[in-house]
Amino acid sequence: MNLSKLVLPKKINLNLEATTKEAVIEELVEMLRLSGPASKTLVATLLTREYLGSTGVGNGIAIPHCRSLVVSRVRIAIGRSRKGIPYKSIDKKRAKIFFLIVAPPVGDPSDYLIVLGQVAQVAKKLAKDKRLPKIKTGQELIDLIKEFEK
Amino acid sequence: MNSQLQVLIALQDILLLIRDAKDPTRKKKYGRIGFKISNLKSLEDTQAKLEEQLDPAIRSQYVRMKQRYGRVVAPVINAVCHGCFVTIPSAIRGAEDRNKKLYRCENCGMFLYWVEEQPILR
Repeated sequence: MNLSKLVLPKKINLNLEATTKEAVIEELVEMLRLSGPASKTLVATLLTREYLGSTGVGNGIAIPHCRSLVVSRVRIAIGRSRKGIPYKSIDKKRAKIFFLIVAPPVGDPSDYLIVLGQVAQVAKKLAKDKRLPKIKTGQELIDLIKEFEK
Repeated sequence: MNSQLQVLIALQDILLLIRDAKDPTRKKKYGRIGFKISNLKSLEDTQAKLEEQLDPAIRSQYVRMKQRYGRVVAPVINAVCHGCFVTIPSAIRGAEDRNKKLYRCENCGMFLYWVEEQPILR
């Protein structure tokens, strides 16, 4: 299960407008194009997940994630904020690249953890890569992710 | 969407979060990925607040389902209840008000949620 195969160019926003943690989660969830109530529920679950500990893993990376009934398959959205967003990350730095991962509660939970682990690995490589700020399209980002997966 | 169903879905999602956070194996795996899991109390507080929003009759059913299965809402995917994997009767399947009305699976008794399906477009 490769991240590059799970992400669609349409689900990548390289110019996030949000300036707060709550707003960035809302903006990422909007990209999944769920119904209003489903989006609202998902945002609430993701924010509740943050109570357990920030999903800002440092180095400018945040991976908001949860399992939720509102989806029937793993859904991923990626966003980039040029200025960065205060996200209460473990290194206290602003988060600049966001990977939203939502998985359904059905199926093997370890599949979800595998995807989460893969995303974390790719995100770490991506955050260190000097090409990331220069990327202009979603497809370019997917191509870069593919490089890291080789 | 039915407002009580929305509360039930939020509760089900929180129950999952709590279950994951309490499972030592999963907690360890999360830790390896880079996520620290703590502050479980705040989740349990949120759960209690949401439970208060349920109507008494629905709440008693919720409690029963939670005790029996550890979950309360079953997703319906391709007309199958993913709580018990039994096909939903056609009368309910064809209803226009699904998700606007609270339905329960006739077999397992779980509340039903029809998951939105989106075609994968590349």
